[in-house]
Amino acid sequence: MNLLPFAHALAARQDLPIPAWLFAWGASIVLIVSFFALSVGWREPRFEEDRWCPLGAGLSRALLSPPLQVLCGAIGVFLLGLAVYSGLRGTEAPDRNFTLTFLFVTCWLGFPLFSVLLGDVFRPFNPWRAVARVAGGAFTALAGQRPAHLAYPDWLGRWPAAVGLVAVVWLEIVYGVSGGVAVGLSPHPAAVAVLVYTAYTLTMMALFGTEKWCRNGEVFSVYFGMFSQLGSFAVKDGRLGRRRPLAAATRWATVPGSVAVVIASIATTSFDGASEGALLSPLEWTFERFSDADLGLTTALRLTDTIFIGLCVAGVALIYLIGVWGMSTVAGAPPRRKLWTGFAHTLIPIAFAYLVAHYFSLFVFQEQAQFTYLLSDPLGAGTTDLFGTASSGIDFQLLSANAIWYVQVGSLVVGHVVALTLAHDRATAYWGDYRQAARSQYWMLAVMVAFTCFGLYLLSVANA
Amino acid sequence: MTHAKRALALLLAVFIVVGVAACGSDDDSTTTAATTTSGSEKATTQEESKKPATPTIVVRNGAPVGGVQELEYSAGDEIRFRVSSNQADEVHVHGYDVEEEIPAGGAATLAFPADIEGIFEVELHGSETQIAELRVNP
Repeated sequence: MNLLPFAHALAARQDLPIPAWLFAWGASIVLIVSFFALSVGWREPRFEEDRWCPLGAGLSRALLSPPLQVLCGAIGVFLLGLAVYSGLRGTEAPDRNFTLTFLFVTCWLGFPLFSVLLGDVFRPFNPWRAVARVAGGAFTALAGQRPAHLAYPDWLGRWPAAVGLVAVVWLEIVYGVSGGVAVGLSPHPAAVAVLVYTAYTLTMMALFGTEKWCRNGEVFSVYFGMFSQLGSFAVKDGRLGRRRPLAAATRWATVPGSVAVVIASIATTSFDGASEGALLSPLEWTFERFSDADLGLTTALRLTDTIFIGLCVAGVALIYLIGVWGMSTVAGAPPRRKLWTGFAHTLIPIAFAYLVAHYFSLFVFQEQAQFTYLLSDPLGAGTTDLFGTASSGIDFQLLSANAIWYVQVGSLVVGHVVALTLAHDRATAYWGDYRQAARSQYWMLAVMVAFTCFGLYLLSVANA
Repeated sequence: MTHAKRALALLLAVFIVVGVAACGSDDDSTTTAATTTSGSEKATTQEESKKPATPTIVVRNGAPVGGVQELEYSAGDEIRFRVSSNQADEVHVHGYDVEEEIPAGGAATLAFPADIEGIFEVELHGSETQIAELRVNP
């Protein structure tokens, strides 16, 4: 059996596993940093307040002006349309077609990165939001009243987005199977999936209201929005401003289902990293059992992957649950339910670090393709050359193996430190007594060490 | 307090042990393949006597004999291997984008400098099957 992760379908090159000495160094630094963190802990919460300050009014007006919003929305709709068109009409070679690189590398990996740096940049470009706003505006103009919406059930919260997040990754890395061999997703089904998702999203926006659905159910808004909470730029009351970095994250998880979103993010990245190395033999074993049971090779492989994605989600949830349970045993602890949601945001930096560690090199290499031949020849037909870059290739010498390793290990260590910072800060807010707060954090520290060392371990086994 | 501390110390100890174990196993796997060996017994025994061993990947009916072969080099080396096939085909090394035709019942030698680090697939163009995995270590 050949369990080919998604990256293979696109990239002609895979990362080498991190060498043993770097693994040892990374793990040691994590442990030393963690013990250091225990001793320097501050006593008053520092990140619970935004310390919002607006940026220049002129800049704010320019960036939030209606013409610019219309332009951004139009760009979003055009690019999504191009992705669908090239998926339906273009070549089926995944690496020569605009669709897969644009959807799963440029957007799916690019927006988390730019959201951390610049704030919620997906919002103005969100093609579904743009279409729904135009439709809503047209309805208001014609009917003379604003469209009425159903009340969105509070308990549902971000659950639709959490389920959608797993579904997106499932489509990306599980669906593309041919005769029992994972071949990765092809452009055509990807385009069909976009159309299905568009119909679903526009329906939901019509039912519950555009902004309500973007905040709760729209997978990409919620997922990219989660990462934007780490950064310091945001729009508040129609004004662009800066806030304390990380501060907004402290309020992100109050909506039900948020914990599921961040757990799904870590779990799906883990599965993608582990399916090549750490999980390879259990995957093969299960696949053989299912194929022996006459399920058909395609079903057997998809079922195997689906089960293991489920196990990864359960495993990540269990690690977090142990941390929550541990904290709840410390005197003066709030109820477990409050701890469960109250510390969920501390996992966002871990999720981001996992993304960087696993996809950084794919992003750097594949974006060269995106901005050269995939832009000049989106269909991969070999006959168009819009910008004269259709014959360029990817310069694989841009990053040495060492550079990639340092970025990978560095991102995990930095994510670990930020996660510990947020957890410690939240503990000082929850426990009035500083000593008890510090005690509760032995547990979160163990959780973070577990995630970071697991991340390092995945990189050291196989690096896809 | 001491209770929690002890539990934590235990957890950390477990991580360290796991880490060391993982390092150990990594060492084993990397040191076995020194520079340029392929898994195929045929290729290694044939070429053992010669100094610069040129591993041969034998392809029969569009599939590599003995499964996907492993080729390992260090950056700066010259990559050199032979592919023989009973059917006419074309070998393609991803990333390096090196292509070579093989005549039916013949062989082709691929030689190029190892100047990109990473793991690359070596594929047959006709049957689209992977015949080898090329590793270039820094």
